[in-house]
Amino acid sequence: MPPRDTNPNFMNGVPELLILRLLQQDEMYGYEIVQAIRTRTDEVIAVGEGVVYPVLHGLERDGALQSRRKTINGRSRIYYSVTPAGSERLAGLADSWSNLTSAIQKMLSGGQHVQAIQ
Amino acid sequence: MSKLFNELRERLLRAGVAPQPVDRYLNELTDHFNDLRAEEEQAGRSPADAESAAFARLGNLDDLAQAMIAKPEFQSTLHSFCVRAPWAAFGLAPLALLVSAYVLASIILASGWTIFLPQSDTPFVPVHGFALVYFGIGRMLYFWAPVLIGWAIVFVAARERLKAIWPAFGLVLTACIGAGAQVHATRTSTVSTGVPIGPTHVVLALNSANASKLIAISPWHAAALLALTILPWLLWRVRMAYTATR
Repeated sequence: MPPRDTNPNFMNGVPELLILRLLQQDEMYGYEIVQAIRTRTDEVIAVGEGVVYPVLHGLERDGALQSRRKTINGRSRIYYSVTPAGSERLAGLADSWSNLTSAIQKMLSGGQHVQAIQ
Repeated sequence: MSKLFNELRERLLRAGVAPQPVDRYLNELTDHFNDLRAEEEQAGRSPADAESAAFARLGNLDDLAQAMIAKPEFQSTLHSFCVRAPWAAFGLAPLALLVSAYVLASIILASGWTIFLPQSDTPFVPVHGFALVYFGIGRMLYFWAPVLIGWAIVFVAARERLKAIWPAFGLVLTACIGAGAQVHATRTSTVSTGVPIGPTHVVLALNSANASKLIAISPWHAAALLALTILPWLLWRVRMAYTATR
């Protein structure tokens, strides 16, 4: 099976945003998080799945996430959930991201406008 | 599976990541890999194909390693203490541990002398029963502390895949102090009767009272301690080099 293309920008702030958003709804373990990202972004954001763990561990070190070990069907998993500090961080990241996408969208729209004039 | 994870472990440890985060990362990766493989098998792939597909989805070695090493907080939080402060881990810590062991050994010697040998002008005489056990503990601490501390240095160096320079410094330091430290025990006695009276004095010192004797004997003692402690490390390094070439 050929390796899937990955999005290199995944590691530049976007994973934190997606992970915090996902975990705000429900606690999940790493595999679930990656599958949820894949499904909910219609596989637009593809990533080497293993790299999600350093992001999770970093968020936990920052106090944005907390983890607990749970055994389900005989398998022990580490489940992550968002802390109040993580919710605040999510709000900040979401604002920044909204501003950024609006600005880029505006820029792209302007580009089309210029092309249309020419 | 184990080959990828072993290589990843080696790479992270050699980059200076502390063993604990490495273990946690690898444990979660292993779980994730098992989930991916199960998912691929349920999709109808053969076990071999499912494993290949799971590897491809998990990410390649470079990506997995860089995801941890390239993190901004790597230098401050993920580096092991031995990498961040090797002077403390291999200089101060062995020194403090050795001094603690010797002080404890001296306390055992002084208290044992007072309790079990109140009439003796030296504690270095044959004893029996519980006194033998009591003094034996102190003696073991005194003689084995440098060896045990040396082995601890070797264990940490091997576990964290450290470069040789600082662990070697720690081993040499430990061997030199272990070879040089001596205990002097004296007790004042009455001039007329010769009967020992208190207090006892147990002094721990790096021997400088008889420098020529020290120079004649201590290098061999230090070399023996160094050889005893460094040997497991050398054997481990040879084994690792052999494993890497296979």
